[in-house]
Amino acid sequence: MPEPIVDPLAVTETAGPTTEEPRRDDDLAPPDELPATASEAAREESSVGFTALVIAGLVFIVAGWLLPWFVEQTSNGIGFSAQDAVSSPPTGIGTFVVYLIGVAMVGLVAFALYDLLNSITHRGRPLRWWRRRTALAILGAVGTLVVWLLIGVLREEPLFGNISSFAATDNAVWMTLTGFVVLALTYGLRPWVVTHGEVAFGGVVFMIGALMPFIFNQSTSFIEWGASAAAIYTLLALGLNIVVGFAGLLDLGYAAFFAIGAYTCGSLASPVHGLHFPFWIVIFIGLAVAALFGAVLGAPTLRLRGDYLAIVTLGFGEIIPDAANNNLFNATGGPEGITGIDHPSIFGFNFGIDAKFYFWSLLIIIAIVLVLLRNIQRSRLGRAWAAIREDEVAAAATGVNPVTTKLLAFSIGASISGLAGAFFGAELGSITPDSFQFAVSVTVLSTVVLGGLGNNTGVAAGGILVSFIIFWMLDHLQEWMGTFGLKFGLPALGTIDYSRWVYIVYGAILVGIMLLRPAGLLPSRARKSELQAGGQSEALAVVQGVV
Amino acid sequence: MTVTAPVSPAEPLEAAPPPILQLDRVSKRFGGLLAVNAVSFTVATGEIVSMIGPNGAGKTTAFNMVTGLYPATAGRILFNGQSVVGMPPHRIAKLGITRTFQNIRLFSFVTAVDNVMVGEHCKMHENIFQSMFKTPHARREERDVELRALASLREFGLERYADSYARNLPYGLQRRLEIARALASGPTLLLLDEPAAGLNSQEKVELMQIISDLRAKGLTIFLIEHDMRVVMEISDRIVVLDHGELIAQGLPVEVRNNPRVIEAYLGSGAAAQSERGPQTTA
Repeated sequence: MPEPIVDPLAVTETAGPTTEEPRRDDDLAPPDELPATASEAAREESSVGFTALVIAGLVFIVAGWLLPWFVEQTSNGIGFSAQDAVSSPPTGIGTFVVYLIGVAMVGLVAFALYDLLNSITHRGRPLRWWRRRTALAILGAVGTLVVWLLIGVLREEPLFGNISSFAATDNAVWMTLTGFVVLALTYGLRPWVVTHGEVAFGGVVFMIGALMPFIFNQSTSFIEWGASAAAIYTLLALGLNIVVGFAGLLDLGYAAFFAIGAYTCGSLASPVHGLHFPFWIVIFIGLAVAALFGAVLGAPTLRLRGDYLAIVTLGFGEIIPDAANNNLFNATGGPEGITGIDHPSIFGFNFGIDAKFYFWSLLIIIAIVLVLLRNIQRSRLGRAWAAIREDEVAAAATGVNPVTTKLLAFSIGASISGLAGAFFGAELGSITPDSFQFAVSVTVLSTVVLGGLGNNTGVAAGGILVSFIIFWMLDHLQEWMGTFGLKFGLPALGTIDYSRWVYIVYGAILVGIMLLRPAGLLPSRARKSELQAGGQSEALAVVQGVV
Repeated sequence: MTVTAPVSPAEPLEAAPPPILQLDRVSKRFGGLLAVNAVSFTVATGEIVSMIGPNGAGKTTAFNMVTGLYPATAGRILFNGQSVVGMPPHRIAKLGITRTFQNIRLFSFVTAVDNVMVGEHCKMHENIFQSMFKTPHARREERDVELRALASLREFGLERYADSYARNLPYGLQRRLEIARALASGPTLLLLDEPAAGLNSQEKVELMQIISDLRAKGLTIFLIEHDMRVVMEISDRIVVLDHGELIAQGLPVEVRNNPRVIEAYLGSGAAAQSERGPQTTA
């Protein structure tokens, strides 16, 4: 054991491959020497560290922007992956720069592998930051490797849509650079990343996210997927996570609020009622109306718990799309829904149908929502939610008002869903009741559970993964299998009609993920240790012959 | 360690300092079962009062009525002269009555320090927008509450466990954490439901020390306890319930030798024997 870590700053300075783990990352073992205020100190530090990462990220992004342009001028339009640079003779200053990057990448990958090896040989004391750092290293390394390998494939096979061979290398450079930046940042800021893994992870993800439209600039359908499926579902999942994950209230009718947001905003900015309010005002109205409905629909459920609550929310989830379908108050346009919804514009620039502007707007909104939720989670209200989730009676006896606490959970969850609805309508230009059926509620709920109940990072990851599976992978299954079959001399693979299989595949993937990661992709600390505790007490029960 | 507090005689209740808690013919009926039947007693400010009685006597039901978890079927419950019947639990907590539970009810998968911070929930002013945007006011309040919670953990010898989940604390420390949580809102009346249950004798001694320390700080303590050694040692007065009825109240010595109490605990034969003065034990 090393000397006790007393100064929280010392953690930052001394953390390295051989440093011991700060104890707050350890879940079940009794805590040891770190003073209790360290967590507070760490929280204070994180804002400074985050700024540093943002600046570093910006520098890298600018460099990433300049480099392809720079290289293109100097390398005769040849592909310029690091591999190419290594295998072809240097012909210009740009190629030389790429060559340097290539060497750096090789070095980083080697470093990552060495770290991995180290962690395997020093096993026996599983340390969490170790794993997180290793995970990031693997991410960067695998990303880089995949880029190298894909470049060849991308030129021939349209994995992400129609890509010309020149553009393929262009895209590949973006991907390569992104991977390089991720790895370089992760290692460059290692001590900091160790103490603030979550924030660093978020920063890296958002950086990659912001670059996506460039990386896939030749495949608009992929960005359309990102804007209309991945971002919307992530937002919905984040909202539902408040209700289900934080406050522990099972909500099966969440699509209702999605519909309310979409219809409110659709009505206020379309020819239906002749209203054309600016989008950026309308989203706030949609948010407020959804929040109001969240409280209104939440009120009757206050006395209910668990399964009973779920059934009542299920009822609401059925009422709202049905009301819209029946053209209630002549406001919803019946089964045809609302069409001709205005596309948003900013400073006179109309977003039109270009998905990347929606994608970027949603990315910014998701980032804001994540930060605000993180603040709430660590505040008076966040603790009250946790208290209600864990034990409502004890929470009430301790002074937490269950009524306002639950209603706020419903309300805030609904408001985020309303926001998602506003974007959904504005992007598609039309909404119909079909888009808000029970299946949406279930998909969002499974996203939350699969991502990691109660952990925003995990839920966001789940949102991206589930929407990728449903709206991209299953759509392209036929094409992929065809290409795959040709490649490996099994053309029969391409002749199967996969449209009959998609939901079987989807279900199998969900089952597989939940079996492999029962607490979700990135479980919250509470959920993980709850599962462990459950396992322990079950084991104990077996030993004692109770079961 | 024996507390030898001067005890006022039981009769002149009107003359004594005003009771912090007064139950006046309080009843609770669950369907056909009369769990508490017209029970009346008072707890004076600064007292340590124990409520004893066999299992099913209605002790916890009485606690639940005082803290608002059940509404009383009949009767009045006055806290500092104010009726708390029909008041929701969180308002009663804010008024100044907090409690612990017989089967520890901590927020299991919430850290110890957050458990205590939840205790201060009803005294905090930060609203949702302030917490969302981390305004200076919210930051300051959060920091103050966290520091107070940590100080409280230190006082109870729990600072090592500040960032552990409540569930992962050893049993005896969970009992302490529950007391720390109940104290966080700064109550004037603390209700402890079997605080010594499951503790070893060393922990019981520490518990008694904690209770008498709290009383020394001016807190009034009303507890349910089965461990007669603890009850006899720390209580100023004892209230005895049996089958939902108040069968005796008074000084520990009086209650110990009360034939009805002995009968409730040990049956009528034992009551007859006790005329010759054997000890009552739990």
